[in-house]
Amino acid sequence: MAITEAVPGVGKQIRWLDFLAAFRAWLFLGILLITFEIWAHAEYDSTFLLNPFNVKSIAVFTVTPLLLGLGQTFVIISGGIDLSVGFTMGLSAVVTAHVFNWGSQFGNPVLSLVLAVLAGLGIAVVPGVINGLLIADLRVPPFIGTLGMYGVARGVAFLLARGTTVPVQGGLLGAIGNGEIAGFPNLVLLTIAILLVMHYLLSQTRYGQHIYAIGGNVNAALRAGINVRNNTIALYILSSLTAGCAGILYTAKFSAGAAQAGEPVLLDSIAAVVIGGASLFGGSGTVIGTVIGALIIAVIQYGLVFVNVEPFWQFVAVGVVIIISVLVDQIQKQVGKDGGHG
Amino acid sequence: MKRWISAFAALAAFGLVVPSLIDVASAADKKYTIALIPGLTTDAFYITMHKGAEAAAKALGVNLVFQGAADFNPVTQVPVLNAIIGRKPDAILIAPTDKVQLVESLKKAVDAGIPVLTVDTFIGDGHYQTGNGDADFPLSYIASDNILGGEIAARALAKAIGDKGKVYVSNVNPGISTTDQREQGFKDEMKKHPNITVLETQFNADDANKAAAQFQSVYARNPDLTGVFGANLFSAMGAANGAKQGGVTGKVKVVAFDAPTSIVGEIKSGNVDIAIAQHPAEIGYFGVVAAYAHLTGQSIPTLIGTGFTVIDKANVDDPNVKRFIYSD
Amino acid sequence: MDNVSAPSTLLEAENVSKRFGGVHALKDVSLTLHPGEVLALAGDNGAGKSTLIKIISGVHHADGGSLRYEGKEIKFDNPHQARDCGIETIYQDLALADNLDVGANVFLGREPVRRIFGLPVVDRRLMREEAEKTLRALDIHIHRLSIPIRSLSGGQRQSVAIGRAIHWKARVLIMDEPTAALGVPEQRKVMELITNLKGSGVGIIFISHNLIDIFQVSDRIMVLRRGSKVGEVRTSETNPDEIVRLMVGG
Repeated sequence: MAITEAVPGVGKQIRWLDFLAAFRAWLFLGILLITFEIWAHAEYDSTFLLNPFNVKSIAVFTVTPLLLGLGQTFVIISGGIDLSVGFTMGLSAVVTAHVFNWGSQFGNPVLSLVLAVLAGLGIAVVPGVINGLLIADLRVPPFIGTLGMYGVARGVAFLLARGTTVPVQGGLLGAIGNGEIAGFPNLVLLTIAILLVMHYLLSQTRYGQHIYAIGGNVNAALRAGINVRNNTIALYILSSLTAGCAGILYTAKFSAGAAQAGEPVLLDSIAAVVIGGASLFGGSGTVIGTVIGALIIAVIQYGLVFVNVEPFWQFVAVGVVIIISVLVDQIQKQVGKDGGHG
Repeated sequence: MKRWISAFAALAAFGLVVPSLIDVASAADKKYTIALIPGLTTDAFYITMHKGAEAAAKALGVNLVFQGAADFNPVTQVPVLNAIIGRKPDAILIAPTDKVQLVESLKKAVDAGIPVLTVDTFIGDGHYQTGNGDADFPLSYIASDNILGGEIAARALAKAIGDKGKVYVSNVNPGISTTDQREQGFKDEMKKHPNITVLETQFNADDANKAAAQFQSVYARNPDLTGVFGANLFSAMGAANGAKQGGVTGKVKVVAFDAPTSIVGEIKSGNVDIAIAQHPAEIGYFGVVAAYAHLTGQSIPTLIGTGFTVIDKANVDDPNVKRFIYSD
Repeated sequence: MDNVSAPSTLLEAENVSKRFGGVHALKDVSLTLHPGEVLALAGDNGAGKSTLIKIISGVHHADGGSLRYEGKEIKFDNPHQARDCGIETIYQDLALADNLDVGANVFLGREPVRRIFGLPVVDRRLMREEAEKTLRALDIHIHRLSIPIRSLSGGQRQSVAIGRAIHWKARVLIMDEPTAALGVPEQRKVMELITNLKGSGVGIIFISHNLIDIFQVSDRIMVLRRGSKVGEVRTSETNPDEIVRLMVGG
């Protein structure tokens, strides 16, 4: 007698719910955009979506939380969390500014740019390596390990900046940070390139597969011969690198490196990952989901200003969206469990 | 307003008193220790204040201790304050991070025999030695008049936009005494300009990116926006960037509060039209002087106001103006 | 097996001993396993059953005695070496990743890769097809292969774990309480699966408290008590009462 699946009919219903749940982030974004469009027409007789300026502004606004969220997605899927990304971003921002200024002595702005970017990325690797070693080798729980790095990165960033923002001399960095190609802001194009790489890494490579496995059952991963230790360290380096990218782009945008640039964005980045469908316990999540999550947060915050809602409601709105996302996630998991097996 | 005029007069009087104090100091030959606790240590404003305080301490032969938390938060400031109280300085100069939450801890300082003066921010309502309320025990409040600062900003912005149009305030978070007062002063002054409409204030949690996005959103809905007041550095930086993204730099005037070194570049490139610089060095200097005066038996005013300098493209390179840029 | 001579010994453990501190977990225990044979390991808690299989699968080192695999003496430094030899162990937790699908679990750690424009890409279709083939060969039918296996039943998940071991050509399959967490109908199905495996020449050792299962599929039963072997009998020549007596020493 073969081992078969009972109650095939139920399977079909569950498939619809799965579909809905997988696309709930998209649905939510769609509902939001439509709501704001209607609202804008009703109150101000103007369009929200069809205004390319709005679309561009929202896209640029999404860049920072999205970049922080990309690395965070990987870390959260593996069952960890990275609280240090905000100040790693600030550290990179400050170093990028300093090195760009230092490099101007060579008279070649492109050289300064290259040096600055390399330095910004290079310094970002350091907190990542330390986090990785703390968590993989010393078994420090990710929450605590990265919280420690949060403090260290912050202190170092402020020391390097000597307490102020570091202004950038020379216009090349600012031109790139604020320029456009064919109507697309450079920052958005760069972010799209980075997210495509991350998407490939997570969904198509063995490494990505192993991250999911570590998040699902780290013992299974170990027994399957996956090098959990090295993979974990790589994870936190990846997270710091995306934070470093965010810092470099910040300095490019504002022509100044600020140590506290990333501080207000940390929680938004985690929220983006969760709204995008990841579970904070690990094992699930996608890059596209995080993109949608970051867009949802940006659209809410931008949109509420646009339709002139009192500022405090913005905080409430983002919080409500997070709660709804997690609830829907829980419901989907429950239904999947009860109806999905024979 | 009136009390500020008398405060300025007191300042002038100080100019005469200080030299005689120095004589008193060397005669008495006792080295006082004064502690300066800023709102946060990682900010050009307070770093400049520290430098001013150091200058006064050197001139008076006072030992200055500078300790603070890394962020503007009573939760982190109170432990620092307690540690300082334990070291028993002769006086404490503090920029309290909350007008209510610091009252109890500062009372403990007074109970331990340490006189307290507040700089930049205040506790209670800032009116000290009145006999009213229980937050009036500090001896003096030395600061820029942030309400006046807001008024000056409003006047500068009104002038820049031809006294008509739509403006809004880009602020940090509600509840910080300094930025709240700047907004209040700005709005009060703008009431006197009937052709200027003040839109809803936007709060950006000190995130320049958010300030930029908020500017873009406000501008998208109000294409006739003419001006924005950034109540602190990141608010202004963000709003200026938002204007740049929207291609309206120069068309929408940006007034910034506070002048760290990065503001020079912003003014020169036209991203920011006007910066209102406080004089934190003066706050630090006269804070130490006031404390010293009290310790040597002099009476001191309960309110000492320091001024502002309006910086724009025309005068940003003027050395008399340049020295008010907050240094690192 | 079409070998005319006596069936070759797949696995042989000779006088294996193991101490943990002052506790003598195993004392001079010997075991033999032939291809296509099912050996049940019975005994009360603390009898040493887990320790024995952990030594065979490379998790522990024996303090005394030796192991032979296909006639050759072996010494495993770690579980991966045992696995590479073809000795696969399925512990009670199954070592499956709940959030991944069947194919991903079968190929866990050994995912096949193809190239698109020179970039390495995990070949999910291949994983799914291969997994399906293996499961069909074992007469296991799971309709939805691309859902996370947490949605499958306990019996199906056990099958996936067994399927994984077989896919990687295990010659010796060790199972720790394979039916402990299953309901009766599913227990029967897993036992049928084990019977199917016998036919392909795999040697199976399984630990169980379930006498029904033991008597349904095993060829021989080995009973341990307090670290020593107290009995080894052919299943056809014994009965449940005798096994229980050996276990508790009555």
